[in-house]
Amino acid sequence: MSLQTENPQLGASGAASTRVIAQTSSQIWIRRLTLLAPLWTLLALAIFFAIASPSFSRPNNLSNILTQVATLAIFGTGMTFVLLTGEIDLSIAAIAGLAGMVAAQVHLALELPEPIPTIAALGTATLLGLVSGIVSTRFHIPTFMTTLAMSLIAAGLNIYLSKGRTLTDIPPIAETLGSGRIGGPDGFRVIIVIAVVTLLIGYLILRYTRFGRYIYMTGANRSAARLVGVNTDLILILVLTICGFTAGLAGIVSMGRLGSAQPQGVDDFLIDTIGAVVLGGTALTGGRGGILQTVIGLLLYGTLRNGLDNMPWIDIYLKQFITGVVLLSALVVNLLFSGKRARDKT
Amino acid sequence: MNESSIIELKNISKRFLGLQALDHVDFDLREGETHALVGENGAGKSTLMKILSGVYNEYEGEYLLRGQPVHLHSPRNALDRGIGMIHQELSVMAELSVAENLFLGRQPLNRWGAVDWKRMNATAEEELAKLGFPDINVQHPLGEYPLGTQQVVEVLRVMLSGAQVLIMDEPTSALSPAEVERLISLIDTLRQTNRSIIYISHFLDEVLRVADRITVLRDGRKITTVEQQNTNVDELISLILGRELKTATISAPTKPGGSTLLDVSSLTADVFRDISLTVGQGEIVGVYGAIGAGHFDLARAIFGMYTYDSGAITVDGRRFPKNFSATYAIKHGIAYATESRRKSLLMDEAIFRNVTMPHLNRMGAMAPNLKREVEIAQPAVERVNVQPPNAMNTVGKLSGGNQQKVVIARWLAFPPKVFVMSEPTRGMDVGAKREVMNILREFRSQGYGVLVVSSEPETVLDVCDRIIVMSRGDIVAEMANENLNKDILMRLL
Repeated sequence: MSLQTENPQLGASGAASTRVIAQTSSQIWIRRLTLLAPLWTLLALAIFFAIASPSFSRPNNLSNILTQVATLAIFGTGMTFVLLTGEIDLSIAAIAGLAGMVAAQVHLALELPEPIPTIAALGTATLLGLVSGIVSTRFHIPTFMTTLAMSLIAAGLNIYLSKGRTLTDIPPIAETLGSGRIGGPDGFRVIIVIAVVTLLIGYLILRYTRFGRYIYMTGANRSAARLVGVNTDLILILVLTICGFTAGLAGIVSMGRLGSAQPQGVDDFLIDTIGAVVLGGTALTGGRGGILQTVIGLLLYGTLRNGLDNMPWIDIYLKQFITGVVLLSALVVNLLFSGKRARDKT
Repeated sequence: MNESSIIELKNISKRFLGLQALDHVDFDLREGETHALVGENGAGKSTLMKILSGVYNEYEGEYLLRGQPVHLHSPRNALDRGIGMIHQELSVMAELSVAENLFLGRQPLNRWGAVDWKRMNATAEEELAKLGFPDINVQHPLGEYPLGTQQVVEVLRVMLSGAQVLIMDEPTSALSPAEVERLISLIDTLRQTNRSIIYISHFLDEVLRVADRITVLRDGRKITTVEQQNTNVDELISLILGRELKTATISAPTKPGGSTLLDVSSLTADVFRDISLTVGQGEIVGVYGAIGAGHFDLARAIFGMYTYDSGAITVDGRRFPKNFSATYAIKHGIAYATESRRKSLLMDEAIFRNVTMPHLNRMGAMAPNLKREVEIAQPAVERVNVQPPNAMNTVGKLSGGNQQKVVIARWLAFPPKVFVMSEPTRGMDVGAKREVMNILREFRSQGYGVLVVSSEPETVLDVCDRIIVMSRGDIVAEMANENLNKDILMRLL
C-alpha cells in the first residue's frame, strides 16, 4: 500500500530514467543557450569596444572593469536572491552606507579592536534586512514599501551616527578588503576575490540546496509553492536577510575602496545593482534567472560604463544618456533573443 | 417573425477546434420577458451567451436585433446597442464608492469639466430607491457591502448605461437565501420597466419562479422552449438530460468497513457552516455542490489553506491544531489538488521538478540532483500514464488531462493517507477523465481515503462510494451512491 510496493518499480525504471535524461539533454542545452541571450549582447558589446577603442582590451583595463563591478557583484548576489522571489529590496545602498559608518564609529569612537567593528557592521545590515522581511510578511506590506522605508531608516541612522561628518579613519579589515592586494603592490585585488567568493556561494546555494529551489518556486508560482507546503513567508524573510548581509559586506568593501565612511551612502549603487541583475536576465517577476545571469549582467554593465570611458571622442556630458539608451536597447535585445513573447493578453 | 421580439437568433452554429459547441440553435427574446437558459455544463449555454453579448463574433447564422440583422463585434458594441451582461464573477471596483461604480466611465461632469459629485450621488440614490434599495449609502465603498448588494449595483450599472436586455450568468450561485429573494424581486421590478432578461442558472426552482419562458440546450442543440406555466422541475430535468426520469430510492449511507482516516466535525467558516463528514480507509467520498456552495473552500480548509472559525479536523486519529499549516497537513498524511491547475504547477518547469516539489524536505538540505529527481519522478509519471511518459518534458506544453496527472503523480512518491481533490477531471476529454477516475479507484483499492470535491455531477456519480451535497454553505444531503443519478443530485441543489 505504501512506499515499499513502489520500490521495485523505482529500481526497474532506473534504466528508463537514464534513457529519458539522455534523450532530452540536447534540448536542455538549446534552452540554456537561449536563456543566455545576454551573453551574446555582452560579446557584441565587448567586440565593438575592442575595435572602437585601442585602450579597452588592454589587460590592465580589463582588470579595471572587474574592480569596478566587484562592489556591484556583492550587492548583486543578494539582489538576485530577492528578485528571484519576485520581490525587491530598495534599501541596499542606504544599508551599505550605514554599515560602513557603523564599522568606522565602532572602530573610532568605541575604539574596539577588529573584528568587532566589521561584525557590528555586518550584524546591523543583516538585522535591518531581517526586519524588512518580517514586517513585509507579517503585515502583508509589499517589499517595495517596507524596503523604501528601511532605506530612509538606514540613511537616517547613518546621518545620526556620523553627525554629518566623513570619517577617514577606517578599520583595517575594511581597508584590506576594499583596496588590498594579494602578494605585493602588483598582486591580485582582494576586492575581486571577495566578489567572486560571494557570487560562488550564492550560486551554490541557489543551484544545489533545497532552500535555493524553494526560492525559485516562490518566485515562479507562489500559490503552487504554498500548495506543496513551502513556507513562502519564511523564504521571503530569509532572502531579504541575505540581501541585507550582502549590502553590509558591500558597504564595508566600498568604504575600504574609497578610504572613508560617508554620511550619505552611494545612492547610485541601488539603481546600478538592479540594472545589472535585470540586464543579465533575472526577471523582476521572479522565478527566472540566477547568479550566472547576474555575472553576465555585471560584466555587461561594467563593459558598457568602462567602454564609454575609453572613447575619448565621446562628450563626457553625453555619457549617462548613452548608457541609458544602450541599457534600454540591451533589455529589448535580451527579450527578443530569448524568444519570449506573451500569448496570453490578460 | 415575431412582432414583439427584441432579439432573434436563427440557425446559430459555432465550432471550437472540431467541437460543435452550438448546432443550428434558434433563440428569441421578447420585449419585457425573462427568458431562462438551462442545460448541463457544456450544453452550449455560455457559448450562446457570449455570442449574444458580442464576445464571440465568428459564428454561422443570423442575429436579428429588433428585426434588423446585426453583427456585434465586441461587448462594448453590444452594450451600445442595449445588450448588457452581468458576469458570474462580478467586475466591480471594491475601493470605489457605490455611486462611482454606477457611473463607471461616464460620470456626470459640471461646467468646469470636473466630476459633478452632488449630481452623481443624487442620481445614484434616486435610481437605487426606484429599484427598492433606498438604504444603500452611495458614498460608501462598494466593497463594504455584501455580494448580493454588489450584484444589485452591477445590474443597475448595466441598466444605467442604457441596456434594454440584461444577460445574467448564474447570478444567485454565491448569494444567501435572503439575497436570492431580493434579486428575484429586483427582476420583477425590471420586468415592469419592460426590460428583457436572459437568465442562466443551475437552480431550476429559481428558474421556474423568475422565467416566463425556458429554453433547454443539450449537446449544443436547442431541445425546446417551454412556457413557465406548462412545465415543472421534473420535466425540465428530463429535458436537460434527454431521458425519462428514473425514480430511485435514496439509500442511507453505510459506514465503511475500514477505520476512519479523515474526520471533519462542525467545521465553520464564512462560506460554509457546521460541516461534518468522514472519509474511511478505502473509500471515495464526493462533495457535490453548485459553484459558490463553499465546497472548494472546505477542501482548502481541510488542507490548512483556508481559515476556519470553529470545528475540528482529525486525520487517522490525530486531531489537527487550529490554524495548522499546509506543511503540517502534508506531514500528517493529507494531499490536496486544487481545482486550478495553473495555481498548482510550475508551467515553465519540467515535469520531474513539479513532481518532487512537495518532497524536497524529505531528501535532506541539498536539492536532489537531476538523476535522483528523475528517478523519483519517472515511475510516478509512468504510473499515472502521462503522455508522453517523459519526466523531462515541460509541464506547460502538456494537455490539461496530462497536467492533472502530473498534479496527482506529485503525491505518489511518498503516498499520503487522504487525497483531497477539487475537480479532478475538469476540462478533460473522455479518455483522460476515465484514466483519472481509474487512478482514484486504484487509490481506493490500496486503502487510501479519497475526498472528491466537484461541481460536476458525473464526476461524483462515477467514482464515489458516498455523496454529500452542499448548497450555499450547508450540507443538504448525504447518501450512498446506489441507484443515484443526476436527477436526484440536481433536485437537491
